[in-house]
Amino acid sequence: MLELKNVYKYYNPDTVNEMCLFRDFNLKVEKGEFVSVVGSNGSGKTSMLNIICGSIPVESGQICIGDKDITREKEYRRNERIGRVYQNPAIGTCPSMSILENMSLADNKGKVYGFRRGTNKTRISYYQELLARLNLGLEDKLEVKVGALSGGQRQAMALLMSTMTPIEFLILDEHTAALDPKTAELIMELTDKIVKEKHLTTIMVTHNLRYAMEYGSRLLMMHQGEVILDKKGTEKSSMTVEDVLGLFNEISIECGN
Amino acid sequence: MDFVISIMEQGLIYGILALGVYITYKILDFPDLTVDGSFPLGGAVTAFLLTRGANPYLSLFAAFLAGALAGVCTGLIHVKCRVRDLLSGIIMMTALWTINLYIAGTANVPLFSQETIFKNGILEKVFPEGLQPYSTLLIIIILMLISKFLLDAYLQTKSGYLLRAVGDNATLVISLAKDQGNVKIVGLALANGLVSLAGSIFCQEERVFEISMGTGAIVIGLASVIIGTSIFRKFTMLKATSAVITGSVIYKACVAIALQNFEPQAMKLITAVLFLVILIVGMERRKKVKTDAGA
Amino acid sequence: MKKRMTAIFLTAAMTVVMMTGCGSKEGTTESGGDKGTGDSYTVGIQQFAEHGSLDNCREGFIKGLEEEGIVKGENLTLEIKNAMADTATNAQIADGFASDKVDMICAIATPSAQSAYNAAMDKEIPVIYTAVTDPVAAELADKDGNPVGEITGTSDKLPVEEQLKMIRALLPEAKKLGIMYTTSEANSVSAIEEYQLLAGDYGFELIEKGITQTADVALAADDLLEQVDCMTNLTDNTVVASLPTILEKANEKGIPVFGSEIEQVKIGCLAAEGIDYIALGKQTGKMAAQVLKGEKKASDIPYEIITEPGFYVNNKVAENLKIEIPADLTEQAIESFDEISE
Repeated sequence: MLELKNVYKYYNPDTVNEMCLFRDFNLKVEKGEFVSVVGSNGSGKTSMLNIICGSIPVESGQICIGDKDITREKEYRRNERIGRVYQNPAIGTCPSMSILENMSLADNKGKVYGFRRGTNKTRISYYQELLARLNLGLEDKLEVKVGALSGGQRQAMALLMSTMTPIEFLILDEHTAALDPKTAELIMELTDKIVKEKHLTTIMVTHNLRYAMEYGSRLLMMHQGEVILDKKGTEKSSMTVEDVLGLFNEISIECGN
Repeated sequence: MDFVISIMEQGLIYGILALGVYITYKILDFPDLTVDGSFPLGGAVTAFLLTRGANPYLSLFAAFLAGALAGVCTGLIHVKCRVRDLLSGIIMMTALWTINLYIAGTANVPLFSQETIFKNGILEKVFPEGLQPYSTLLIIIILMLISKFLLDAYLQTKSGYLLRAVGDNATLVISLAKDQGNVKIVGLALANGLVSLAGSIFCQEERVFEISMGTGAIVIGLASVIIGTSIFRKFTMLKATSAVITGSVIYKACVAIALQNFEPQAMKLITAVLFLVILIVGMERRKKVKTDAGA
Repeated sequence: MKKRMTAIFLTAAMTVVMMTGCGSKEGTTESGGDKGTGDSYTVGIQQFAEHGSLDNCREGFIKGLEEEGIVKGENLTLEIKNAMADTATNAQIADGFASDKVDMICAIATPSAQSAYNAAMDKEIPVIYTAVTDPVAAELADKDGNPVGEITGTSDKLPVEEQLKMIRALLPEAKKLGIMYTTSEANSVSAIEEYQLLAGDYGFELIEKGITQTADVALAADDLLEQVDCMTNLTDNTVVASLPTILEKANEKGIPVFGSEIEQVKIGCLAAEGIDYIALGKQTGKMAAQVLKGEKKASDIPYEIITEPGFYVNNKVAENLKIEIPADLTEQAIESFDEISE
């Protein structure tokens, strides 16, 4: 269970540009939930993910996993149980290293990075198996540098790498936004498959309303640092893309867009 | 022949320094000026130990450790105090000037009467008479090969993978639940350890420690790395470490030739021009690679 | 394909440069005549840095050889290299001379002497040095002043005792003597030690001020001038280069500053018992000639120091400071100046 309690977040505190994003923000994500988050630009979706992962600090409030308060925990420590895929495919992989080296690197997450050989030869066939499931032919290009791959291929690898080791949470930050529709579809299907297989608690930020409706067990709509729509289970499945779009337009009109 | 031997000797010693600079400049993407201080640090530690009768081979390890410690300091200044990379190196380089002077005792410590790794009782027995003129070069080659292969091996370990990843994509290292700061510190320690080792070897080869021996070391290191990696970019058979060492030998050869044909006053200008030409050649290629990928 | 071509071209270019480099090198040595045989010699001069005193040494050395009949362009080929204070270049110059098999290396200043000796010792090339303050500390000579190998030369050790005697004669009342020096210059450190040893004998209390770089000079001078009755200089490169700054501050306070060589007196130091570097160079040149002609081996000649320091005085400075120069000293002066040159 992941919980944000009474979170306050200001940008540029103590300057004329001070802006309050979250004022007493609360969110509770149950174990095994797949939450899709939609909302306009600046509504605080990505900031929320950054707060959960510890990439940015909060002014006050608590972030808890289960009963444990992780508010003061460093970002890299939190990542022991969190996997994250970013919008930019370049962030999830290491371009100057080969596919095999990248896979080996990810495979060791949570263990000591010591003086053992970087690539465990006995694991290679396992990596190939994983890569083969992507249907991108990467399993035959183990020695190719990741920097030479296309965005879609790299994002598929990033997804694979971030979910390779046992983690509890998967954070997806518009991870299909930079891809062409066909690749995006493929990555989205793959995501769903992995989440279901590994029973990951997932939070996915997306601008694609169809994905938000189609995937996940819960839908959040955010606006100016607040959750204005929160539907679960059957409530969610009974909604249509048109409903959500309607609501979306409403809040946009309020803002004068 | 002597001409070539002396170029090889100088080039290979500085090649070890270039390996260190390769780690910071190419792998970590960290412009580390500590080098100008850690190179003479190796010399100072060596001078301190040799004048007190220590085993010269031991001084190599001591120099490596001292350099690694200097690298850790630079890393801590950068990571923990959040000082910019370039400035951290400058701070450490400045501090090392005084530290080196303290360690060595004076600004100039001759080692003519001490046993060094190149001249000692055991060596004279071991080396056959005919090979004596080449003994210095052979020892340097052995040390260079050890440094190179150990570094190559390290870069293939899990820790080495992480080091390569941090310069490339620090976010990925955080995603792997590792503190990127610590990884950088390890890299800086390793790099400056190698630089300091080169300083120790240089000091024993020259049989003198001189406080100013580090001035410009970073320029030589960078030039070697850039020459090596630019020229041998297409030779995928050649490991980057080998390319860097070859770069250092080429650099020293150019200096030696320039010294013979030009006024020494012109040296720095020639170095700068050589540097620029190679940079431009290297850059031109990088641009091409990008357009290829875009098309 | 194009990239590979560039790479190949570049390596080819490098090789060509190397070849021509080697080629022209051979050319120069040939023009120097058949070295070592007959009466023709090739001498490599290795100077550590660009510096007035060191330049004078070099000029003096060439003159000294000339006086012994070894003349540039006739029976002498000179290769003059300056390391521009770079240790790596310094080492390469020495290696270059050694592999060219010159007949002799003349090394100017301590680091040059050490690297020349290091490069030449296995090649049986004699090394003659000059401007090495302490050949014993530099391990170029043993405790008795005998060479450690085929290396000898001249020392520019300051005549500390004579300098103290002279200051006492000019300033009978002075108590506190200040010296500024760079802590990283080995020559300065050893000179300071000698001053510490001897200052008491002449009734001076020595106040030394160590600096690390040119930027420290102004502040250190202010501090030092507050505490002392007079100042004297060493041959410290950093301090000498900033001498005008120190002199200006000293003049404001009316504190006399003594020099250590002729050039310093010329630009405004009161007086000096100093070294004439040209004379030192000449002395070195004559030693070199003996070795070149085969009269003596370098290892048989102990290193020499300048036999008698010269007294230099600047009358204009004395007048400004209202200091009377004793007549006997004035007579002794090798050179006296009546104006301060900028």
